[in-house]
Amino acid sequence: MTANTLVSSKLVCVALNDKSQLAALEGTFNEAPYKKPPTQPVLYYKPRNTWNVDGAEVEWAKDFDGNDAPAMAVGASLGVVIGQETCRVSQAEALEYVRGYTIVCDFSLPEESYFRPDIKGKCLDTSAPVGPEIVPADTIDNPDALTVTVFVNGERKNVFPLANMQRSVAELISKISWIMTLQPGEVIAVGFAGERVPVAKGDRVEATIEGVGTLTNTLGGA
Amino acid sequence: MRHARIIFEGRELDIDIDASDRITTTDGQELNVALDSADITWLPPVKEPGTIFALGLNYADHATELAFEPPKEPLVFIKHANTLTGHKQVSYRPDNIEFQHYECELVAVIGKRGKNIKREDAMDYVAGYTVCNDFAIRDYLENYYRPNLRVKSRDSLLPMGPWIVDRDDVADVNNLRLTTEVNGKITQDGSTRDMIFDIPFLVEYLSKIMTLNPGDMIATGTPHGMVDMQPGDTVVCTIEDICSLETRIVSEKEYYGDKY
Repeated sequence: MTANTLVSSKLVCVALNDKSQLAALEGTFNEAPYKKPPTQPVLYYKPRNTWNVDGAEVEWAKDFDGNDAPAMAVGASLGVVIGQETCRVSQAEALEYVRGYTIVCDFSLPEESYFRPDIKGKCLDTSAPVGPEIVPADTIDNPDALTVTVFVNGERKNVFPLANMQRSVAELISKISWIMTLQPGEVIAVGFAGERVPVAKGDRVEATIEGVGTLTNTLGGA
Repeated sequence: MRHARIIFEGRELDIDIDASDRITTTDGQELNVALDSADITWLPPVKEPGTIFALGLNYADHATELAFEPPKEPLVFIKHANTLTGHKQVSYRPDNIEFQHYECELVAVIGKRGKNIKREDAMDYVAGYTVCNDFAIRDYLENYYRPNLRVKSRDSLLPMGPWIVDRDDVADVNNLRLTTEVNGKITQDGSTRDMIFDIPFLVEYLSKIMTLNPGDMIATGTPHGMVDMQPGDTVVCTIEDICSLETRIVSEKEYYGDKY
């Protein structure tokens, strides 16, 4: 964990929130082991050892024998920063609980299955940069109208308009707050493009949201 | 020695408890109160809780009961401090569900930072042990990151404590009787010797993936014997030589009060 992380106590990420990804996987999700598509937001945590900051290096993953992992991937999301205790709030009032917005990158091993919690793929040290700052909530009119763009070594690799999310920012805050009480400073990464971007050792990754900023990190291992 | 966190006479205190049940604050003040006194409010025993790792299907018999093959690799999921509550506190049963069960588990509390820890060194990184009750709401299971957060990350559904026992005070952590009583009747009776992946294995495994930090916890899974819980039930999870953890179940409405 980096001492100056912007995250306080919890970073909740939402997987499978890209409509086109859900549509593409519908056949798969009707088969074993899933049996039916998800009826609720699909959530995972990036625990504190993963938290990292703008400008920092992201470690290249190792396999269980200590060798460099063959591949890694990155997704980027709008990060919603909670401003006050958020317990069982409605969708209509949910955005009132937001202090501000930031960007979350999720570096991981390529994901092959959504059946079990992906501890090996997602809990890598330094793999969750958050930043570059928290912009105040009142500077963003409509968070669902933002677009997240990922560049690798200056080349645009992925564009994700949040209008393509299956569930909106407000709906997610509400639904999560009915599972767990959220505290000030906790962050929700509300959705990633279904296609994660492959990265290589030494790559420079920039994730940009207009009005929120650009989060820049470099992969280690080079 | 045992270590706990309590509220007593309006003060939040870190306490040590010796073999004669004498309670001393970490400032050296002796408290003239019995361990079972109603004047003590028990808090979760880890002062600055970090990442909570929990194991699914880590007892051969429980894995069979749930109709799964025993896993070849640990099934690990993560929980956070919102789920924690203390001994003799309440946990809630959500409205309109069919099946909520307890899971009595041995918890290893990490005391030292480490990565790539070898199995033979693993116990150097364990400060001590406590007991938790890792409740599950089976109605909410979905086959995505199963067991999903809606099942396992709810407020109050991870009672823990009452205390942490120092590692060296437990002779053989791999051979402890583990029991759960619901309203005074034993419903779960197992032994930590039936754990599939033991604590040294789990410390090595997790630390190959990530850095472990002081305050992280590993809840090591539960044996067979699941029964449904209802508001008004009292459940006591006991692990021999560690502690007994008592929890009263309340309704969702009673738990959330004004926020219901």
